[in-house]
Amino acid sequence: MSGYIEGVLALMGINILLALSVYAILMTDQCSVGNAGFMAIGAYTSAYLTVKMGLPLLPALVIGAALASLIGLLIGIPALRLKGLYLVIATLGFGEMVRTFFLNFEPTGGASGFRGPMGTTLFLIYAWVVGFIVVFWLLDRSRLGRSFDAVRDDPEAASTMGLDVIWHKVWAFGFGAFIAGIAGGLYAHYMFYIESGNFSFLLSTMILLYVLLGGMQTFWGAVIGAAIFSILPEVLRFIHEWRLSFYGAVLVAMMIFRPSGIITRQMVRDLGERLDKLFQTART
Amino acid sequence: MFFQQLINGLMLGSTYSLIAIGYTLVLGLLQMINLAHGDVFMVGAFLGLTFAYLGIPLYLSLILAMVGAGIMGILVERFCFRPLKKAHFLGPLVSTIAFGILLQNVGTQIWGSEPSRYPQTAEIAQFHLGPVVVSSIQIIILITSLALMAGLDMFIRRTRMGRAMRATSEGQVNASLLGVDPDRVISFTFFSSGALAGVAGVLTALVYLQITPFIGIRQGLIGIVAMVIGGLGNVRGAMIAGLLLGIIEVMNDAYFTAGYRDIIIFGIFFIFIVFKPEGLFGAFKKET
Repeated sequence: MSGYIEGVLALMGINILLALSVYAILMTDQCSVGNAGFMAIGAYTSAYLTVKMGLPLLPALVIGAALASLIGLLIGIPALRLKGLYLVIATLGFGEMVRTFFLNFEPTGGASGFRGPMGTTLFLIYAWVVGFIVVFWLLDRSRLGRSFDAVRDDPEAASTMGLDVIWHKVWAFGFGAFIAGIAGGLYAHYMFYIESGNFSFLLSTMILLYVLLGGMQTFWGAVIGAAIFSILPEVLRFIHEWRLSFYGAVLVAMMIFRPSGIITRQMVRDLGERLDKLFQTART
Repeated sequence: MFFQQLINGLMLGSTYSLIAIGYTLVLGLLQMINLAHGDVFMVGAFLGLTFAYLGIPLYLSLILAMVGAGIMGILVERFCFRPLKKAHFLGPLVSTIAFGILLQNVGTQIWGSEPSRYPQTAEIAQFHLGPVVVSSIQIIILITSLALMAGLDMFIRRTRMGRAMRATSEGQVNASLLGVDPDRVISFTFFSSGALAGVAGVLTALVYLQITPFIGIRQGLIGIVAMVIGGLGNVRGAMIAGLLLGIIEVMNDAYFTAGYRDIIIFGIFFIFIVFKPEGLFGAFKKET
């Protein structure tokens, strides 16, 4: 596999993880445009651990993600006071705060960035992608998944039924931050070099865009959306310097013509039934 | 020294105010952030620069940039807000970021990604008022932005269109029952929001002398911070908060470490949005 294609696939995998991290938070009808901040925490922490402390990659990744998750929980608690637009703005502020923190934090290089983390392979990225897809797939079929759905669709009814709405919302934040932290760690150890500018609010909103365009009714929407829209700019290379204009125009048009996203829950269900039928006819 | 910094801060802050007002007008009406606003500001800055190269006098290029950026604002509404009325409430937010990417890329194609220099057209006069030195450009910036802010304030409070804007932001259905055409009001609001950003762009280009197509990213964020501190949807609040932020930024650079500027600004921002989301002067509450 050529280096170029490998690079595209690696970034696609990382984008899928980031989209899942946004989806996890959206599961409880909260939204975050600060996930690049969680990603930055995971990236810088794991990079510091492997480069400066000599830790192996895997534990460093997990520790970085755990720290991102812990901060996600801490942020999630006060952010619970906020709804809708206020939460959007608060998470945006959080993301920018993290970015400017790392821009000035000298132990991890400050403005000149942090060099040296390495070791991420394509296999490792996709192992995490598949792992999290399995987690979401199991979650969809579990009691916990149902309660997340209930909290999203009608928090008041859910709490009347005895569900702890706050607990679900805070943990969704923590879980989303964990995935973003893993994505950040993988990103750092793939790029060999990170700087605070990699984790701007532009990235956070782009990830949210992947999820919205992919469809936010099921986690498959996040996966497919991130896959399609991180490859699209590469496919558009033939129009050279205008490709970002075209990309932006496509995204705006997509929002207009398919506001519910590419993948809907109904679609996944239909596909599942068709596959079932296919298996049955194959068996007989 | 202190008074000098205060003047510099007011000058910087007045451009922040103009940007923040644009956010807050749209937010008061549609409860949504227009993330392409910073890039509309950028377009205004480059229009001002282009007109200056063409030899158009400053006052005329300010007006032309206002119209140009205002039309850009209307385009944002047409593509990212109007078709998405029934979409998820985050739809317009992400759509405007895509629109912003488009504007940045078009800007890069037209004006290049390298910093463009603002041509020195007029002679800059320096005035000495006691210990304070004020340049003619600073006076132009302060007067233009303060006049625009006062004009907008009067407009919203005194005119028919202003009343229609206030009515629409309190409730679109009620307003349209009373004979207001909400689409017209929304278009007009986006035009004024873009026009103010355009003026801020030209004024910023005058101060910084060098601009890139990515100048709107930070200025746009600062505008959001000013809007939050002033209270969401509160136009007068946004004016004052913008000026305050300009003063804080200049004072920080003068008496503290310049590198911590954005940490301080975003820190204040985060504390406000979490613990005092209504801002300093009270947020606008939609009656439901």
